[in-house]
Amino acid sequence: MTTSRAISKIEELIPQRSPIMMVDELLKVEGDECTCQLTVREDNYFVEGDGMMAEPGVIEHIAQSASAFAGYKAVAEGATEPPVGYIGEVKNFRIYRRPMVGDVLSTVITMGATVGGVTIISGCTYCKDECIAETQMKIFVRED
Amino acid sequence: MLLENKFYKVLSVNQTDTLQAEYRLAILSECDVYNGHFPGDPVCPGVCNIETIKECAMLLTGEVLRYNTIKQCRLTALATPTVCPEVKVQLALTATDAGYNIQATIADDNQVYMILKGLLDKQ
Repeated sequence: MTTSRAISKIEELIPQRSPIMMVDELLKVEGDECTCQLTVREDNYFVEGDGMMAEPGVIEHIAQSASAFAGYKAVAEGATEPPVGYIGEVKNFRIYRRPMVGDVLSTVITMGATVGGVTIISGCTYCKDECIAETQMKIFVRED
Repeated sequence: MLLENKFYKVLSVNQTDTLQAEYRLAILSECDVYNGHFPGDPVCPGVCNIETIKECAMLLTGEVLRYNTIKQCRLTALATPTVCPEVKVQLALTATDAGYNIQATIADDNQVYMILKGLLDKQ
């Protein structure tokens, strides 16, 4: 399924809330890929005094983009609450420049296999057409 | 520092070499991050622990540092302000042209929460 506008209210897809919401919208889902967007605002939890986002903020943005994808799938299967996931591992994270206030980040998540409750994802964060960060991650989804 | 005296507070430092140290930290349960991570269910965000490791490296070197690369960071146990009100951050840095190689762990007497290997650039 493909759609080009916000699919659902983000609060319905991810369990994180203010002050640590690091995705504004899930824009697109296509097969194993999704695209999420975040506009970097001055009051973002990871923005420092120089108007730049600390690097772990980008990791959280990528993790929450994957979380939104998982939430989208869970809602499609009838879940009423977004699943709670935790980062299990960050691997080969590279950051080429820090995002700054006003940047619109688009992150493409590719979801890999899920084995024993652990899903492998890769993510690349773009600002305009420039890849500014990329990583692989293992995400645990909590089974309640 | 983004998180010092907000997410954590340094209680003591044991510096064993120029670029090696152990920071004993209090994890501050009143930090506002727990309003959102997660409502009614406080869990230390893994990325806050990653930032905390960098900030300890900045305290150790007296330099502004940024992650260039995280080769691998394993989150080996769930950290919460109740489970681990105090943790020890062990740091071992080695100098490179642009900054430092870093190896770090976050643990308490019971378990290890994070093992990180990466590259820090001097700002």
